[in-house]
Amino acid sequence: MDTLIDLGGGFASALEPLSLIFALLGVLLGTVVGVLPGIGPISAIAILIPVSFGMEPVHGLILLCGIYYGSMYGGSITATLIKTPGEIASAVTAIEGYEMARRGRGKAALATAAIGSFLAGTLAIIGLTFLSPVLVKLANVFGSTEYFLLMATALLLASTMSSGSRAKALISIFIGLAVGLVGLDFQTGLPRQTFGMSLLSDGIDFTIFAMALFAIPEAIRNLALGRGAKDEIQSFGNDRWMTKQDWQRSSMPWARGSVLGFFIGILPGVGPSLASFMSYIMEKRISKRKDEFGKGAIEGVAGPEAANNAGVGGAMIPLFSLGIPGSATTALLLFVFTMYGLQPGPLIFRDDSGLIWTIIASMYIGNVALIILNLPLVGLFVKLLKMPKEILFSSILVLVGIGAYAIEFSLFGLMLLGIFGVIGYLMDKGEIPLAPSILALVLVPLLEDNFRRMLQISGGSFMPLLTRPVSLSIVILMVLGIVGPVIFRWWVRRRQLLADVSVG
Amino acid sequence: MKTLSPARRGDVITGIAVTLVGTVYYIATFWIQETRNIITPATFPAIVGVALIVLGLFLAGQALYRSRKLAEVAPGGAAPAGGGIDGTTSACVNAEHGATSVDDASADPASGDERTGAVIDAPEEPKSKQVVLQFALFFVYLGILIPVGFLLSTAAFLMTMTSIYAPHRWVRNLIFSVLFSVVIYIAFVYGLAVYLPVGILG
Repeated sequence: MDTLIDLGGGFASALEPLSLIFALLGVLLGTVVGVLPGIGPISAIAILIPVSFGMEPVHGLILLCGIYYGSMYGGSITATLIKTPGEIASAVTAIEGYEMARRGRGKAALATAAIGSFLAGTLAIIGLTFLSPVLVKLANVFGSTEYFLLMATALLLASTMSSGSRAKALISIFIGLAVGLVGLDFQTGLPRQTFGMSLLSDGIDFTIFAMALFAIPEAIRNLALGRGAKDEIQSFGNDRWMTKQDWQRSSMPWARGSVLGFFIGILPGVGPSLASFMSYIMEKRISKRKDEFGKGAIEGVAGPEAANNAGVGGAMIPLFSLGIPGSATTALLLFVFTMYGLQPGPLIFRDDSGLIWTIIASMYIGNVALIILNLPLVGLFVKLLKMPKEILFSSILVLVGIGAYAIEFSLFGLMLLGIFGVIGYLMDKGEIPLAPSILALVLVPLLEDNFRRMLQISGGSFMPLLTRPVSLSIVILMVLGIVGPVIFRWWVRRRQLLADVSVG
Repeated sequence: MKTLSPARRGDVITGIAVTLVGTVYYIATFWIQETRNIITPATFPAIVGVALIVLGLFLAGQALYRSRKLAEVAPGGAAPAGGGIDGTTSACVNAEHGATSVDDASADPASGDERTGAVIDAPEEPKSKQVVLQFALFFVYLGILIPVGFLLSTAAFLMTMTSIYAPHRWVRNLIFSVLFSVVIYIAFVYGLAVYLPVGILG
């Protein structure tokens, strides 16, 4: 009941004209930026963070949450029409949605993505509304031991559950940790890893790092490719929207995707991208029309898009109630909170409950805005796809330049941006994923601080990890989550080998 | 090294680079002042440095080991057709990997698109010379942004970038470069109160 009163209060302020405008603006801006080929939610938020600098915290956060939603939807437009996913989460849409568009079903694909996103997004926010206060109560018994463990779990899961090489995901995490440790040690005030440069003692700014890693490599790569690399844009002028059959085929995948996405999103360190992949695999397995998958099955768009957006709501739960981001994108949002001097977690629900509930209420509004604005305006967004690449990507380079300037007001900040752009490009070339390092960079101060506090309280003993009931449960879950799949895979492979031997 | 496919060679180079970075990072921890805390300020940086060294060596070693195993499987023609053999074999490995994760989909999202058979094409790779040029121009822009000022340097940068890409459309490029710089300047300075450098115009 308290929750409903809090939420009501949130709605009262989220419906104030200015808040409403920022929610709408965020969704619109997010969609516009998300539609731009090669720009996913992470880059969209990173590029637009400087815009929120001068704003009231509540407005800035409403705006950026809207941008997050909007850019996810914008990304599915791009994936459907030119097969260029802005981020891995929409990679499956780039398969199934693009095939639908090629067969003249582009409008239906976009509609099922939009409606599924709306339904799943709303369900996930309802989950967020009611689960966060519960988790906040639980978090009151959390000490530094539990926080340390949760963050370590987040990083471990981010590496084991990423797509591609696990060693490379771990390398990405340690690069993020390495960058995050540069600067003055907050406990002793001693400089660390500054290589004698006093300018580095303030540490490396998170936004500069995120912009450099996510916007610059993509921009430089596209500019360097030069003319000739033209995308084929699928048109859909006379397509029909969803038919009755489309609705029937989409409804169950929406429901399954929502539930799956929500629970995967809650896991620390696991973002919505895994949710969309798992939903795709699941829909394909239970479908009666398996042969249509890969050739434009609407279930393959409806499920993953729902899962993707439910995952966003799910990922907000550990962020809001524990202050632990589950993915690179929520790590960016955590950074924005701290930029405004706010620390998400149990305390924010006590001290700034008005603010947090306003943001949650604005998420409901943002989801409604998304579906009202985006389906009618889709024709307009598609025009953005035709923007010449040289104009798009040189503008992005200028925008990240402004962003870095607005953070540091110095040549040093600008050069850091360029240098990390080069590092990001090299990581990309070495196929090292970029997102885990963003998560690691945000988590490293918290990780180190809680680790130190844990050892200080215990007098240098690691025993609290195993003697405290909550931390012991986390340890057990962590071991199961990480060792489990490895043993399982080894077992399956061994069985296959044995079978091969007995056959041969 | 002859039998290494481009992907494997890339992993060896990446691994070595990561090891070097880790080494430099670890050595840098020697300059951190010692304290008597249980966890000194140097503890975490040292762990990170060592981890990077280990992971880099692991990555390079894994790539070398796998290519050696492939060479044993396919002796002889490995050198001329190294890439092809490696490519097909690694595809088999991936397929098997994908099959194992049917029941264990949670662990490996990447396997999802492998089994669908409709894999997204790898993005085209630009020429290194072009990449270096683009980065150099970007660094020049970042360098002159403050002394020359936002308006002039941005217009010049945009004009250069768009003209390299589409020289014949110089009128459009010019209009875009000037207009974009002015609009962004006004939006940031008057709309968001972020004061951009005025440079020589100030």
